[in-house]
Amino acid sequence: MSVKTDYFLKALHILAWIIFIGVSIEAGGFIFNLIFTFLFIAKGDREFRTEVDLSALYHHNDRDYITIISLMIIVAVLKAIMFYVIVRFFHDKPYNLDQPFREPVRRFVLNLAYISFGIALFSSWGAGYSKGLVKQGVPLPDLQTMKMAGADVWLFMGVALLVIAQVFKKGIELQAENDLTV
Amino acid sequence: MPIIVNLDVMMAKRKMSLNELSEKVDITLSNLSILKTGKAKAIRFSTLEAICKALDCQPADILEYRTRRD
Repeated sequence: MSVKTDYFLKALHILAWIIFIGVSIEAGGFIFNLIFTFLFIAKGDREFRTEVDLSALYHHNDRDYITIISLMIIVAVLKAIMFYVIVRFFHDKPYNLDQPFREPVRRFVLNLAYISFGIALFSSWGAGYSKGLVKQGVPLPDLQTMKMAGADVWLFMGVALLVIAQVFKKGIELQAENDLTV
Repeated sequence: MPIIVNLDVMMAKRKMSLNELSEKVDITLSNLSILKTGKAKAIRFSTLEAICKALDCQPADILEYRTRRD
């Protein structure tokens, strides 16, 4: 492995750590928000305010509030898991650039694809649900603020990663055959 | 696999060790071992040529086809 590639991978590792910490804090914040709201904030309290302002929804209906915030939590947790998987990958270093097609790398790509599909599914669900609520006249923050935007992008990423995983599967077979060619 | 590698038989006939053959053919011991134990998936013509030259034999002396009995 060249020095340049080594630095590049180290930079990616650090970047993955930073994003992982960020999304973990975000997920933790949402979970704390849900618990805190039901434990300490009384219905009709005017002081209710968080980073993502769902006070109107909270006052509108408990069930809708729990659904939306649960979807936000699921999406945030899935993002955190995704970056945890990436950080673990860089930490364990199962890759070898001289022989790149390896089973752990294929499994890593496949895991990312499944998580990406999960994020797409729950983001899309959340987007549809909040659209329905806005139609009922409940003022909600935009999807970007609720961290549920871009379901189509996540879906595209999932499909692309699934294709890459299939390419890796074939690559592993070819590499094994090449290794056993004398 | 129905292709049998008779490298060990030829080496015994020529009284040549694996190390000696490895040096003459210029391939690693591990690769030669893969070939000898029948784990190899393919063999390059250049390798076959070098082995035939070193053992003074024909490709048919090293490779043999046997029908599979299921």
